[in-house]
Amino acid sequence: MSLNTIGTLLQILMIIIVLVIIMSKDNLRIIVFFSVFSLITASLYFFNSAPDVALAEVAIGSAITPLIFIISISKQKDFIVINHSEDDFFDNDLDKIGHGYKFLHDFAKHYDLKLNIYHSNLDNISGIFRSRNVDLIIDKSPATGIYTLKGKESSTLMSKLEQMALEEPFIEIFKTSEGETYD
Amino acid sequence: MNPILSFIVVLIGIYGLCTSKNLIKSIICLNIVQTAVILLFLNFANFSGSDIPIIFKNIENPTDPLPQALMITAIVIGASITALSLMLCIKIFHYYGTLNWKELIEREG
Repeated sequence: MSLNTIGTLLQILMIIIVLVIIMSKDNLRIIVFFSVFSLITASLYFFNSAPDVALAEVAIGSAITPLIFIISISKQKDFIVINHSEDDFFDNDLDKIGHGYKFLHDFAKHYDLKLNIYHSNLDNISGIFRSRNVDLIIDKSPATGIYTLKGKESSTLMSKLEQMALEEPFIEIFKTSEGETYD
Repeated sequence: MNPILSFIVVLIGIYGLCTSKNLIKSIICLNIVQTAVILLFLNFANFSGSDIPIIFKNIENPTDPLPQALMITAIVIGASITALSLMLCIKIFHYYGTLNWKELIEREG
């Protein structure tokens, strides 16, 4: 098998892989096939007598770019909640699941999000600084006992959460407009 | 066959850009089009039967190394553009709650 035959086979394989990428619906499968596509193009670069570009394509196109894609897909499902109330209303213990936790869990399950709740007491204050991209902050007013959920006004997820919270007596939604801080 | 291959891959990529409803798939299609254009440039620099442009004792007809240097730059810029657009994707998902083109256009009105 000569070098020309291998080049022709690789070109045909490249067209097939591009068609597979266009046809498939699953995000992770698209990313894996894009990695394969980059490897095939890297070998085609080598057949076009450009080994330096082939090296750069192997490193960047087939390793770093799919890595960025996978990281961003796993990050975009995160829904970050910071809990300032100190009772077990939003706790998730094995024997007792809090009512507020169940509410947030139903919301996250309906929109296919990944719920992350950080409890920030005074001895555990580092949880606040862990992520700057906070979606929701929970406060409890000590007089009435009503839990206040603060979030951005612009987000569509917040208005959905407000509709769901109409049925809950102990939860109210407070939406801050752009430019205000949460606290 | 190589310029024809680039042409076919660019056409398939533009078809994917037009028809896909998923934002992440659109970014992948942009990457495919960019790779095809890079392949076209490298093929123009590669004359028939020319050697790899690495200096030996007597190399007769080397490939033009200038497009190769430019295309390495293009690959790196493409990776950074991909990272930037994926960051905007995360922001869009947290703003609208979806990554579907049709729903996004409906929400925006």
